[in-house]
Amino acid sequence: MTNSNRRTFLKATGVGLLSGLAGCTRGGDGSDGSGSDGSSGGSDGGTSTDGSDGELAIPLSEYEDADIDWRQFEGSSINIGAVQHPWVSAIKPAVPVFEELTGIDVVWNVLPEQQFRTKRQTDVSTGAGQFDVFYMDQVVNQFREEGWIQPLDPFFDDESLFDEDWYDPDDLFEASRWQAHGGGYSDTWTGMPITVEVQTQFYRKDLYDKHDLEVAETLEEFRQNAQTIHENESDVVGTVGRGDKGYGMNIYILNTFLREFGSSLWTEFPTDSGLDSDGVINAAEWYVSLLQDYGPEGASTQTWSDVLSTMQEGRAGHIVSDANLFWPGLTGSDSSVADTIGIAKVPSPADGQFSPNAFNWQISTSKNAQNSEQAFLFMVWASSQPTNTWMHVKGDAAFSVRQSVWENDEFRSRVGENFAQVTLESLQEAAPDPFDRKYPEWGQRYSEELQRAIAGQKSAEEAMTQAASIAEDIYSN
Amino acid sequence: MSTPTQTETTPQSTFARLRDLWNDYLPYWFMAPMVAVMVMITFFPGAYDLYLSLIAEPTLDVFAADFVGLRNFETAFTRGGAIHSFVITITVVVSALLLETILGFVLAALVAGVGSGRAKSFYRVLFIIPMAVAPVSLATIGRIMLNSEIGIIPYVINTGTPFAAPNFLSEIPLLTVILLDAWNWTPFMFIIFYAGLSSVPKTLIEASRVDGAPMWRRYVHVIIPYMKPVVFVATLIRLIDLFRTFGVVYGLTGGGPGTATQLVSINIYEQMFINNQITVAAAIAVVYLVLVVALCNVIIAKVGFEGVWD
Repeated sequence: MTNSNRRTFLKATGVGLLSGLAGCTRGGDGSDGSGSDGSSGGSDGGTSTDGSDGELAIPLSEYEDADIDWRQFEGSSINIGAVQHPWVSAIKPAVPVFEELTGIDVVWNVLPEQQFRTKRQTDVSTGAGQFDVFYMDQVVNQFREEGWIQPLDPFFDDESLFDEDWYDPDDLFEASRWQAHGGGYSDTWTGMPITVEVQTQFYRKDLYDKHDLEVAETLEEFRQNAQTIHENESDVVGTVGRGDKGYGMNIYILNTFLREFGSSLWTEFPTDSGLDSDGVINAAEWYVSLLQDYGPEGASTQTWSDVLSTMQEGRAGHIVSDANLFWPGLTGSDSSVADTIGIAKVPSPADGQFSPNAFNWQISTSKNAQNSEQAFLFMVWASSQPTNTWMHVKGDAAFSVRQSVWENDEFRSRVGENFAQVTLESLQEAAPDPFDRKYPEWGQRYSEELQRAIAGQKSAEEAMTQAASIAEDIYSN
Repeated sequence: MSTPTQTETTPQSTFARLRDLWNDYLPYWFMAPMVAVMVMITFFPGAYDLYLSLIAEPTLDVFAADFVGLRNFETAFTRGGAIHSFVITITVVVSALLLETILGFVLAALVAGVGSGRAKSFYRVLFIIPMAVAPVSLATIGRIMLNSEIGIIPYVINTGTPFAAPNFLSEIPLLTVILLDAWNWTPFMFIIFYAGLSSVPKTLIEASRVDGAPMWRRYVHVIIPYMKPVVFVATLIRLIDLFRTFGVVYGLTGGGPGTATQLVSINIYEQMFINNQITVAAAIAVVYLVLVVALCNVIIAKVGFEGVWD
């Protein structure tokens, strides 16, 4: 490795770590996920406006068509517990609109991810009920089964709080609605989805042109492309992907491929994890050998930020599959290969089903919250079409859970036609992880086994068989 | 006719009794604030940890808690990986302590033997620098320097030696962790041993030299025995600190690959904040606390007061 490469890597690593990619799925990775919003506590209360001209960011008329009694809780306030995350930055300028519309003050409690998790756990388990609204992730079913979060269905049924025609819930991606129902484990709404990311493939167009390669649609084509670049380019590896353990790390990627190989997590819940099925073992063998043969040295320790910075620095031909939210980081000023990055749907087996993994953040309310109805009004307002469209067209957001936003011409023009279309098609076919009650526990162990396989400590088959045994043992006890 | 009862008291007698109470228990009153502080900062957290380890789900309402006996301990030692993490921790603690003690002493002896005062100052500053690096910075520096693609250490090994550099973080992660800790904390041992060597009376060394003892004999029979208390205190402090190691290892390997470097502290953290198994984390912490305190007490009892502080 040359000195200039080393310098560039150090620069790219620093920039990559600091870039606002807090939206990339995490959990079980130890990162506290510092994002672009560093505020904590305080209030955005009052009727402040966006900009200096005294006008609200979004006209109130956008919400007045709704058959909702927006002002029924005038004079109250809600506490929102959130992680440092681009969604918070994107929606904050519009919050004065909500406050003007409803007369409800919004108080933010924004914390780094791990600190927030601890505070949230304390808040719900002790019955403190400090947060009326809080971020919710992979622990949703654990919280639901403990009785800590409140189903939203009664609020949806309340005509003064919700207008189905105006809100248009069918505009939310099916995958997002499914994940908001506890990933299929709940018949009721556990929260409202606010962001979604889906896995896509990133590749170097210049290297594809140089070696006369076609964008891969199948796993075999992808492997051949990776091999060609790996063997013909110095200082550029064929591919790069998450190898580190953590349920937001290597298994977040592998889960796409195991579905494409015709398998799934928990083929029979809670007795058969499916992790030792042929589909999972084949997927693991493919992913492990891909990283071992055409990935960087030490692929087993690569986190999402390592993957991003490796690609940003131009040291990899592809990212096999990862969050579409990498797009701004790969094509922006942080990237030394910004003009050469292409995006495509993730490859699938020749006889498999295209099924990219996706991850949603949602906001929920607890059973002990003092102002759950006000919280629900905030959720409806925040995820409604006018607010969501404004965040994506006027702001810099690119994680909408609404199909209409991804089809919006103005938005597509801002983010790029190809990025929007690939993301839209991927989201329409997305198969998010179903987070059962003990997912954090067995998911961590499953990811440790996969990491051992990527590190060459055991075969993929041995690792997945062990992972299956661990997952099933956790439920049998 | 009424008579005064014997139980009636005057203000003076009450004051006198309080004064006697104060005087009789004077040492205890002086100790009371410290006892209160110790209860708050040591006893209460320990007791709360024990409480958490015995209940099904965390709750502040003790009367509503569902006590489950030793079930969390059973979980910790069956599927919680407690035994594995204890083995890893003992391996790291023993290896790193030995390495740091030996290296620290050798470095201290070498610097003490340097004639020039200016050179001594230079070496003292040079050797102390690694100790000043924060754990998270050290882990980040380590990850970059050991990276097989762009790290300076694999580059030097590959270009400067006939050997191929191993992949430090995936092939030899435990050894890498031990070596990084040794690099970080050998300066601590160095500085204490250097101070200890400086305190050895020159007359003793002169006398042994006059008697014709070679250098290694002077160290074995004069200097090291004289430094026994210093060595004991330094290793005990470092031993306790090694049991608390977390940041460097977590930042460097995250406890992996798999669980190859999963110290007890990392296991507790993962059970607590990743798996949300708070009560299992508490159970591991209780066992760990008891073992470390017991070990330290045994060392102090068996080694500390036999010829060291007598």
